[in-house]
Amino acid sequence: MVWGTIIAAYLFLAGLSAGAFLTSSYAARKYPDAKTVRIVGRLISPIFMGIGLLLLIVDAEAGLKDPLRFIYLFTNFSSVMTIGTYFISFFMMAAAYIALMELLKKDTNKIVEYVGIVFAVATAIYTGFLIGVIGAVPLWNTAILPILFVVSAFSTGIAGTMIGSAILDKKVIHQVMSIKKIHLTLLISEIFLIFTMFLITSSTNESAAQSVSLLLSGEYSTLFWIGLIVIGLMVPISIEALELWNSSKFHQSQAGIEVAASGFQGITSTLITESAVLAGGFILRYLLLAAAVPVIFL
Amino acid sequence: MARYGMVIDTRKCVGCYACRVSCQMQNELPVEESYIKFYEKETGVFPNVKNEIIPVQCQHCEDAPCVSVCPTKATYTTKEGIVLVDSDKCIGCKYCMVACHYGARTQDHNTGVVEKCRFCAELVAEGKQPACVSTCISNARIFGDLDDPNSEVSKAIIKMNAQPLRPDLGKAKIYYVR
Ligand code: SF4
Ligand code: SF4
Repeated sequence: MVWGTIIAAYLFLAGLSAGAFLTSSYAARKYPDAKTVRIVGRLISPIFMGIGLLLLIVDAEAGLKDPLRFIYLFTNFSSVMTIGTYFISFFMMAAAYIALMELLKKDTNKIVEYVGIVFAVATAIYTGFLIGVIGAVPLWNTAILPILFVVSAFSTGIAGTMIGSAILDKKVIHQVMSIKKIHLTLLISEIFLIFTMFLITSSTNESAAQSVSLLLSGEYSTLFWIGLIVIGLMVPISIEALELWNSSKFHQSQAGIEVAASGFQGITSTLITESAVLAGGFILRYLLLAAAVPVIFL
Repeated sequence: MARYGMVIDTRKCVGCYACRVSCQMQNELPVEESYIKFYEKETGVFPNVKNEIIPVQCQHCEDAPCVSVCPTKATYTTKEGIVLVDSDKCIGCKYCMVACHYGARTQDHNTGVVEKCRFCAELVAEGKQPACVSTCISNARIFGDLDDPNSEVSKAIIKMNAQPLRPDLGKAKIYYVR
């Protein structure tokens, strides 16, 4: 693995950060009362991006020893990494500003928030394109990968935001049912995207077929089936679906929310579901890097 | 302007590693690191099998993917078509390693810089041959100007119908006789 666990963690954190930003912007509009969700999303977004960038710096050994070199990252416009560096810079500035305003309890500038939304999406897409443009690794080199990464980014962003919100405010998570619906849709799409991607790449390319078999039945099959499919996707899909099913029985009244928050599905199920989603999001990226079989050139 | 390239005649290569050792000396590489890797490939069905030893190093691709992905422009192509790494600009992100089809790059863990075969650019500038070429015991390697039809390398390519390892993966400047 040329790119290993550190890069997987970076891709995961960048996606999570972008997703949390989008979640908070959505919550701010759709649920003005669910302040906790908005605040948590806005605060964790720059924090996780920052941690991701630190990991990236640690992995780039030559730059770590001579940090001024990172300036050159902005120079090659034919490199997806350079373009991503711009996206992340704009996203980081917007996210940090919005988080600061939230801490100072001031109103945010709408334009900055829109800029943030645009660059959050760009950041999430970029994490997919970064590896997606590599012709040498057919498993990555598909148009589906960036879509998969965006879906997963948004999904992990929701998960991170919901965990934080649940810890701070038991009730709020039962207020934001449409977020749960979006989340469920994303998780189901993810399964669909993963298998479509495998089907298409492995039928057209020998190296990709090897990668896919490493995941489905080879070295990484346990992590793939148990870690990603069962824990990362099926468990959250089942719990989330059950919750939505149950919640449709309560009307969205204050009393209904109180009952939901105090019942067995207080915050435990949220914590389990969302942690599973986060684990799955990381495992997805790790597996894609680990199962990268290059084109056989001989 | 010259456009440098090389022919490697695998029929002559005996797998003695002399090129690799001289390359390591020229580039002051530790024992475990090298820019030339050896691959073995068996083709055919018994009793007509052919066993090839194929030395592989940076192919100095035209339109090299390592050049286009490198975010810092540390990797660049010289006027003579040699792909080089500016070790003062490389951040060690390893994007080029991921992008190279031939696994031709290695990271120097003392500096963090990613390096590879440089066609011994400094020797070539002095009019000398790359170290691997002048060391090869069986003259399996020929180096020179691909644009000059009278150069030894151009003639060899035509005479022996030398081909890049994988023409479908982009234009390489190392041609193999197999
Ligand atoms: S062989 Fe690899 S390192 Fe050499 S020029 Fe091509 S892509 Fe770059
Ligand atoms: S490791 Fe160095 S040479 Fe390779 S892409 Fe990164 S900055 Fe460029």
